[in-house]
Amino acid sequence: MLRRAVLQTFRQGLAQSFFKRNAVSLSETTVTHQPIETSNEADEKSVSKQKPGDESGNTVVVAPPEFRFMYPEFLPDPAMERRNRLKEKLERIDMLQRRSVVEIPEFYTGSVMAVTVADANSPNKFARFVGICIQRGGSGLRAWFILRNVVDKQGVEILYEMYCPLIQKIEVLRLERRLDESLLYLRDALPEYSTFPLDMEPERRLNNSVVPINPLKVKLRPRPWLERWERQNLQGVEDLNLPQRFYDKAEKVAKPWEKYDLMLQYRKTIPAEEQEKIFADVHSQLQQQEFKRKIRRQHSALNDSHMVRVGRDANPNQTRISGSIVPSCMLSSAGDMTFRLETYHY
Amino acid sequence: MNQADLSKLVSALRIAVKPKPRRFSCPEGPAGRLEKLRATVTALVKYERIELNHPRAEEAQGYAERLISDAIRNGDCHKHTMEMADYWLNEKQLVHKLFKVLVPRYQNYNSSFTRLVLGPKTYPGYYVGTAILELKGNPFPALQPETHNYHYWLHNVLLEEAKKEFRSARQDRNAGTTESVTAES
Repeated sequence: MLRRAVLQTFRQGLAQSFFKRNAVSLSETTVTHQPIETSNEADEKSVSKQKPGDESGNTVVVAPPEFRFMYPEFLPDPAMERRNRLKEKLERIDMLQRRSVVEIPEFYTGSVMAVTVADANSPNKFARFVGICIQRGGSGLRAWFILRNVVDKQGVEILYEMYCPLIQKIEVLRLERRLDESLLYLRDALPEYSTFPLDMEPERRLNNSVVPINPLKVKLRPRPWLERWERQNLQGVEDLNLPQRFYDKAEKVAKPWEKYDLMLQYRKTIPAEEQEKIFADVHSQLQQQEFKRKIRRQHSALNDSHMVRVGRDANPNQTRISGSIVPSCMLSSAGDMTFRLETYHY
Repeated sequence: MNQADLSKLVSALRIAVKPKPRRFSCPEGPAGRLEKLRATVTALVKYERIELNHPRAEEAQGYAERLISDAIRNGDCHKHTMEMADYWLNEKQLVHKLFKVLVPRYQNYNSSFTRLVLGPKTYPGYYVGTAILELKGNPFPALQPETHNYHYWLHNVLLEEAKKEFRSARQDRNAGTTESVTAES
């Protein structure tokens, strides 16, 4: 229904622009500014919810502002030398196509996640890893995140590319944020801050609308460290207790003027108008996918209670050394959806 | 890393922004660069038309546009915008001018707020030459004559149509005479 409304708006808009193009040749005097556009934009900015396509002409579908935090990889690399609008548009189409196959949930740095990857060399053909997301980056199809865990007293980090066709499933076991955008300091922290049980179950949140910020302050091991953490203005770390000379040198080396450098900020950001365009382009499809998944989940919840499981544990999330892990989507009713285990077809 | 920074929402600038910033050599080093540009931006907001060297004018244009676009987007109650205005404008009465005069002036603009016009390259001197940086809508007489598009004015439309008619009439006449010639031969 939403799609039809959007298509209708699009068709009306097309017809209108065609009419305008013909009208111009007859009655145009000088090229005038159109102040109407900016006032429309102002309205859109104030409206945080998405506006559905109306029957009247010039409405624009706008995504809610949280979209840029939930899907940051849809925004392109801000470096001007590497911007290519066509390439970005094609990438977004591919990203949506991949998301229709595999659910890539909303997550942030500091969330505990489990990723199942197809692995030809493992006995189960799958490899599952649980860890805390310490960093995420990349844009478009190259978007990645790093999961960290301590397994048998050995710290392990794995970089996963979100749109890699080998990835079978991404689950968020605990959705939360931390005080910093990058948790690389966990490498120098005490191991208990990076340890998560491999058979951790997904935690249910009471309040679904707000992502909680965990105000945890981590204790670091004594020096030497991998980086000079005292120079990085970290919020999520306990008092470092270093001799004063470290802080003095940090002050000497600091660049406090960068905070005021407006052009530096501009070159690192995608302007708001472009962001709105990109997410308006993409959000209706994302919402449709979300909706379909909800329905599928409800169906499978109903059917799970009736299904007889053979050779499978009651807890779908437990890793097993022997025997196969059967994802829960395979147990849904026949004809609902097929699980794609084979290679990605381009 | 390689991801766009999400902490601030920034309006698109309507000037050509180069991918790399210019360095300005001075005794204080990189810190001094912003000090110099600050002085330029303050002077631009104070006098609304300044003549200076081209490289500094281009850099200052970017910062001035950013300051004004932030002021328009966020208004004066926004803490970060006020901090930036406080830093970039050395004279505090200009902060009032920015929010009370320039923001209403540029509220509905769809073009850039500043104009950079290249000035004379006097020999001997600085090779890159001078430039005049001005805020649009300033009270001074225009630097360049206004160019109007006269194509769609009534007299030109009528003349174009008359020309077309004349040419088609001439073609018909030529076609008529050639036919009569061929018919005779």
